[in-house]
Amino acid sequence: MHHAYIDKFAYQDSFFHRLDGRVKLIVVLVFTALVIALPRTSPAILACYAIGPFAVLVWAGIPLRFVFKHILVISPFVLVLALSCPLYDRTPVTVAFGPLIWQTSLGWMRCFTILGKFVVTMLALIALVSTTRFNDLLAGLQRLHLPKLLIIQLGFLYRYIFILIDRAQHILLARAGRRLRNLGFKTELQIAGAMLGSLLIRSIDNAEHINIAMQARGFDGTWHSLSRLKIRTADLLFAAASVGLMLALNFFITPLFR
Amino acid sequence: MHMANELLSVPVAAGTLAIAAAGLGLVCRKARRVVTSDKLALMGVLGAFVFAGQMVNFQLPAMPGTSGHMVGAVLLAIILGPHAAAVVMSSVIIIQCLIFQDGGLLALGCNIINMALVPSYLGYALYSLVAAGKSGALRSCVGAVLASVIALEAGALLVPAEAALSGVLVVPFSHFLITMLGVHLLVGLIEGLITVAVLGYLQQVRPDVVLGRLPGRIRLSRKAVLATMAVFTVVIAAGLSLIASGLPDGLEWSYAERPDQPGFHPIVSNEDSRVAGIDDFQSKYSLLPDYSVRTSKLGQLLQQESQTAAGWTSFAGVAGSLLTMALIWLVARILRKRQPQKA
Repeated sequence: MHHAYIDKFAYQDSFFHRLDGRVKLIVVLVFTALVIALPRTSPAILACYAIGPFAVLVWAGIPLRFVFKHILVISPFVLVLALSCPLYDRTPVTVAFGPLIWQTSLGWMRCFTILGKFVVTMLALIALVSTTRFNDLLAGLQRLHLPKLLIIQLGFLYRYIFILIDRAQHILLARAGRRLRNLGFKTELQIAGAMLGSLLIRSIDNAEHINIAMQARGFDGTWHSLSRLKIRTADLLFAAASVGLMLALNFFITPLFR
Repeated sequence: MHMANELLSVPVAAGTLAIAAAGLGLVCRKARRVVTSDKLALMGVLGAFVFAGQMVNFQLPAMPGTSGHMVGAVLLAIILGPHAAAVVMSSVIIIQCLIFQDGGLLALGCNIINMALVPSYLGYALYSLVAAGKSGALRSCVGAVLASVIALEAGALLVPAEAALSGVLVVPFSHFLITMLGVHLLVGLIEGLITVAVLGYLQQVRPDVVLGRLPGRIRLSRKAVLATMAVFTVVIAAGLSLIASGLPDGLEWSYAERPDQPGFHPIVSNEDSRVAGIDDFQSKYSLLPDYSVRTSKLGQLLQQESQTAAGWTSFAGVAGSLLTMALIWLVARILRKRQPQKA
């Protein structure tokens, strides 16, 4: 069955794809923290911050339509949060933007700040995920001393999510094909329970087979990866460039709009 | 219930990330003792099951068009035991954040605490308290529903608390709290019912799964559970009252933090050192120039000139950034067109 592979672009190749996952993860984390730490930001500062992840996305050849579609898909919760601001905060403010000056409320400004921060931080996160293969990221996290159990768990999870989602979709399709009317809550609940139960049993049986196959190949509870993990010159360059950019943004560009 | 980055301030995000990391480290160590290496595949596949299980939705009564689905923490805790369930749920939340961008990177700590650590342990404790040892159908029903409702409500309660501690709430704390608790009461009830339905099916088809063939089953003494619950309740209640008294409600809050307006008299002055610390941290960064509160006509006239100037800088910033992005896009497009010819 068809489902959108969200990290399908991680398997392309570009300068950013070849960078070490650890460096990228830390840069994105610091970047996100900086953006969130900006209190009631002017759109100008946010737009400056957006240049970085935007450049990475474009350079790495990630289609922008995919990126913005994805941001739209994940936005509903933040939209509710942002749109509740104008309802609660009606302090009038005067906003000047270029030739335009208009009256609005502080709530609306907050609403747009939240949305702007959301888009910018999500651009950064999508840039990370769509330029890094998940297994490489895991190998990096292992080097950063995350518990081994959690790393193995994440690896398995990533491997089997899409398989089980496929299976769940088959079950859902089968139900949709047989159920022609609403059957009432009790029956619906029972059916859903049976569907989940059978999915669970099949998963457990599958896990048994996987386990036997892995034991037969000598799995002893550690994850081995072929991917090389070495900080190279390119990684250092990228780290230096991003640190420089973030410092410049934080100390030189931001005060410009003070 | 996934929190976004925007609901947190950086200090709170860092603090909760540290707590979640420490908690997760401890849980992994504990789980490692219970789980042998031949059960690792089982845990991984069950994590994927939680994902797939969330797709199985069903019609809710009285509300046509809406459907409910499972969350999974309590079911996993009942089947796998609390340690392994906490590890599995944490991994689910990490994947949701990294692969599906559900919940922000900075909010990962909060999300792990709210949706993995608290529900797994609380759910398991409550279920085993009510349904421990005895195999009455009614007991396990009540236990599963109770565990789901309380575990989810505890997680839902932490969301407004963490947001209020960050000082980012525009919505009054009590409104947010009541909304979260109300919505999650419903979600918890549905979760409880579907958990009962799944457990009922399993007991018919594969009773060995429910009866503890799987790893991670631990014994809890009833007294220990009750004592932990009591301590937890006291801590939560104390924390909530602290937040409720320490923070003025939404509108006043926005008045209290206006360090960018020196002439502004705060209606509520806040003496809390924690809040002052957050304010200090925030005031190191520039505050927005081109918002100004119109206090009076005179004030507006006086501000007009500087305000227009600020408006132009900000306009230049946005326009410049957009131009840069357009330029990057154009250059990349030209470069990419050339590439296939080379190859």
